[in-house]
Amino acid sequence: MNSKFKSFALSIWAFMFLVSVQTQGQDQIIGMSENIDNVTVETSSQGTTTQGINTLTQDGFKPNLNAASRFLAQASLGYSFEDIEEVADMGIEDWIDNQIAMPKSFNLLDKVIEYHNFRRDSLGDPEAGSSIRFWDYAWWQYHVTSDDYLRQRIAFALSELLVISRFSNFNNEPYAFSDYYDIFMDHAFGNYRDILTDVTYHAAMARYLTFMNNPKSDTIENIFPDENYAREIMQLFTIGLYELNNDGTEKVDTAGEFIPTYDNDDIAEFSKIFTGLTWGDRTTFGKFYPHDDTSYVVPLQMFNEYHEPGVKDLLNGFQVPDRVPVDGNADIDDALDNLFDHPNTGPFVCRFLIQRLVTSNPSPAYVNRVASVFNDDGTGTRGNLGAVVKAILLDPIAKSCNSAIDTTFGMLREPFIRYYQLNRAFDINTMSGNHRNDMYYVQMFVEQKPNTSPSVFNFFQYDYQPIGSVEQNNLFAPEFQITNSQTITGWINGLYRWVINGNPADEYDLYSGEPDSNYEDEIGSLDLSDEELLADDEHLHMLVDRLNLILAQGRLSSYTEQVIIDAVKEFDQADAEDLVLRTRLAIYLVMSSPEYLINR
Amino acid sequence: MVKKRRHISRRKFIGEASCAALGSTTFLSSVLNLGAINTLAARPHIIGSSSDYKAMVCILLAGGADTHNVLIPTETSEYDAYAATRNDLALDINANPPEILDLDYNDNGLTYGVHAGMPNVRDMFDDGDLSFLANVGTLIEPISDYNDYINGGKQIPLGLYSHSDQIMQWQTSIPQTRSGIGVGGRMADLLHAMNSIPDISMNISLDGKNRFQSGNDIVEYAINNDTTAQNIGFDGFPTWWSNSGFLNMTKDSSINSMVAESYANIFQKTFGELGEQTIESTEIFKAALGNVVPLNTTFQPTGLSQDLQKIAEVISVRSHLGSCRQIFFTTFGGWDHHDDVINNQNAMLPILNDALHSFNEAMKELGIHDKVITFTISDFARTLTSNGNGSDHAWGGNQLIMGGPITGQQIFGSYPTLSLTNPLNVSDRGRYIPTTSVDEFYAEVALWFGVSPNDLDYVLPNLCNFYSTSGCPAAPPANYMPIGMF
Repeated sequence: MNSKFKSFALSIWAFMFLVSVQTQGQDQIIGMSENIDNVTVETSSQGTTTQGINTLTQDGFKPNLNAASRFLAQASLGYSFEDIEEVADMGIEDWIDNQIAMPKSFNLLDKVIEYHNFRRDSLGDPEAGSSIRFWDYAWWQYHVTSDDYLRQRIAFALSELLVISRFSNFNNEPYAFSDYYDIFMDHAFGNYRDILTDVTYHAAMARYLTFMNNPKSDTIENIFPDENYAREIMQLFTIGLYELNNDGTEKVDTAGEFIPTYDNDDIAEFSKIFTGLTWGDRTTFGKFYPHDDTSYVVPLQMFNEYHEPGVKDLLNGFQVPDRVPVDGNADIDDALDNLFDHPNTGPFVCRFLIQRLVTSNPSPAYVNRVASVFNDDGTGTRGNLGAVVKAILLDPIAKSCNSAIDTTFGMLREPFIRYYQLNRAFDINTMSGNHRNDMYYVQMFVEQKPNTSPSVFNFFQYDYQPIGSVEQNNLFAPEFQITNSQTITGWINGLYRWVINGNPADEYDLYSGEPDSNYEDEIGSLDLSDEELLADDEHLHMLVDRLNLILAQGRLSSYTEQVIIDAVKEFDQADAEDLVLRTRLAIYLVMSSPEYLINR
Repeated sequence: MVKKRRHISRRKFIGEASCAALGSTTFLSSVLNLGAINTLAARPHIIGSSSDYKAMVCILLAGGADTHNVLIPTETSEYDAYAATRNDLALDINANPPEILDLDYNDNGLTYGVHAGMPNVRDMFDDGDLSFLANVGTLIEPISDYNDYINGGKQIPLGLYSHSDQIMQWQTSIPQTRSGIGVGGRMADLLHAMNSIPDISMNISLDGKNRFQSGNDIVEYAINNDTTAQNIGFDGFPTWWSNSGFLNMTKDSSINSMVAESYANIFQKTFGELGEQTIESTEIFKAALGNVVPLNTTFQPTGLSQDLQKIAEVISVRSHLGSCRQIFFTTFGGWDHHDDVINNQNAMLPILNDALHSFNEAMKELGIHDKVITFTISDFARTLTSNGNGSDHAWGGNQLIMGGPITGQQIFGSYPTLSLTNPLNVSDRGRYIPTTSVDEFYAEVALWFGVSPNDLDYVLPNLCNFYSTSGCPAAPPANYMPIGMF
């Protein structure tokens, strides 16, 4: 875009922006909660319109820009100004339908293989190994170049539910992680039952939760099946610890106590189910067989002679029959059905997804509405994630800006999502269109990037309570589990590196010794050109308004906007370099503010 | 709208910090409801003997360490029971080179050894710097045996054998509820005012947020093992800029203004408070860390050793932090050995061994070996039986406790015979009811640390179940020391 056209586009944008604000009869409640101290707060981008009753929740109305931005903060990992305009133009429901219909751009695994082949070709060595960086690069390449925002968001959430991590003994296996993540990309709008199958038969999960080569019992030798997967598939992937009502609240017994969903005997029974599985590309069962990159992309295979024979008593009175001959795959199918059909699975999975997308403490009614869609999407199908996602995002609680009147509404944005949002908001770009970002610094600063949780319990648990108001009100705030003095400072220092120093991505070679010149056209940079035009004193308030819209969905108060404007003005507007720094400092400060950091 | 900023002249405390000689006795005879805890802040500083410094270091072996292969019975019949039950997981008492190192210990013929990857632990034990606590675990009330477990109507810890619950309960010591408030946090609630700089948390974490250090009124301060005076805090514009000082001040004070704002939204409020505390603490830490003198003791480049080295450095500048009491926390994870437990422990126990040894030497170098204790905790022990080449989740296990204040060369508690027919065993996989509760362990630590016996029920609400025969609440017995570690 040449500068002449850009300035034209900018003036059009400014005009449109004002028009859209002035003409849409939205009730403007953003910032309302700050009014309790008798201080009137309005974000300057909202204009003066105050009439209208929550038209956003009525079908047929299109969201204004702040509402569109707010929606995208729930439905995507990151987005730009143009995306906000698209949602405002298209309307939320059509946008969702469009997204669900949008095909996946490519398999993450294929991208990893492409990098691997490049390394082999470059080194002239067909045996050259892979590197975990291929997985980082593939994830990043996909996400910054593809427009299937909703798929990306749901896949990321699922990767935090059905967790595998690079803190494991297969930490350098890009084939494993990419092929596993492809399950979530493929089934983001598919059926949860299919995900359970694919995860259970995936070599990465079998290694992570140690049921690879798990044999049947040998009571003479005191050897019993590994209980790891049996426990975690129940506790974390399907039903959780306690019997739930469909609204996600715990059922209680006559003594008022929660009712455990399973006991250790149940775990022992399920542990028998997950026996007899080994690598898909091997001809024999047993520990310590070699495997290579591609072993991870073949579904596990069952060796029935190593599968526990006999009946297995599962949950809610369901019994896997004594199959003769032994049929391990049929046993697994039964067991996954038993968990998938458990009444807990809907509310358990839906509460998790609502927490990832919309708010840390969804009301029972909200969970109930979404879980009912999980139970039956209207066509008699159970577990339809596309329908579930739609129910989450189109729910009045998600859509209405009024929800934020409730001071317990919202969530701390996940730190990695903030980082990605920054890059997407300002169109990280490279000369070649190819990206290589191993996301080293974001992990170092905030302890989060895809597949790096410390354990199968994810980066944070759904019921984490930081001390203070959240705990006193018996509410949850999962993301605060990784929020401490180190990661708070780390986030702000990350912003310094990415925004002020202009190093948004961490590029490395594809093979040891690769010349830097090979990838100098793959070095990412942010495009702040639209913003820099607004950095002088006259337009500075428009710059901050624009950042408020794109990054914070209009949630910055006038107080915070003024703090930022005052700080930015310390840089000399007459100095071209300072003008650039003004923009960068403004982004740095917006993204450091609690009003940005909490998505509501 | 702007919250009134505190203008405490912190600097005046620095350098004149001295330690109160008194624990919580004086302060807290009546402060046992949570609401009253805030009144602690109003207490005057007690200026006492600066020699009364005490610190504890909690090392969480996350994942559930298989501690029956850390401390192994070596008396013939006890070993035979161990070997028969553990099968392919048993360490071989006759192996050469040895798989078990004998301890200089004999209790009426009962002898024990440690895993061969822990020679320094053996030496420290033999030298009286270290002891073990056997078959300790989470309990709400005593459970005497399998029959009592099944038929006794006893309360069982929530989510027994589950990582998330057991790792939480080892930190909260309240196994009947799920809570974010931990034992170290509650101790700090009571004792925080002994320290002279209110902005500096008594609880310093090398592993970010954790339950152990979270109190009703206390949040941990987290550092990394590479944190120094140079790199702590916010990065800023380069010093070669003529006006970088001013610009950095502008930048940082803007952040400060935003986090210090009063927010109605509960998450904004929580984040703002955390941000504000971070900024205030970081300023003082930066000044304190500038006084670190490199230790002569060498630490290995492992994460755990580096964590303990950083803890030793922070301890060395305690007076600059105004600290008379400090609670440190770190995690050494990766102990969930469902697979390949033998090889994994062979690799990991030497890391623990080396780190503990270096830290013990560093405390001697700093001349405060008699003021610091270090102990391990873990989710649970693991099944005695094998799942082929690993072990699964279990219950009571063995922990290490180290430091001058501890009576060394002891195996505290009661080490059970490791046979599946032991009445303490509750499963055909070999899972033992703990014979010493986590409560009893922490009670002694708390008393040593300065918590009044009258305040123990604030730190450990279930403790009464383990000493009272006439219902609860009831005051602890005189000179209560259920284990006798100190």
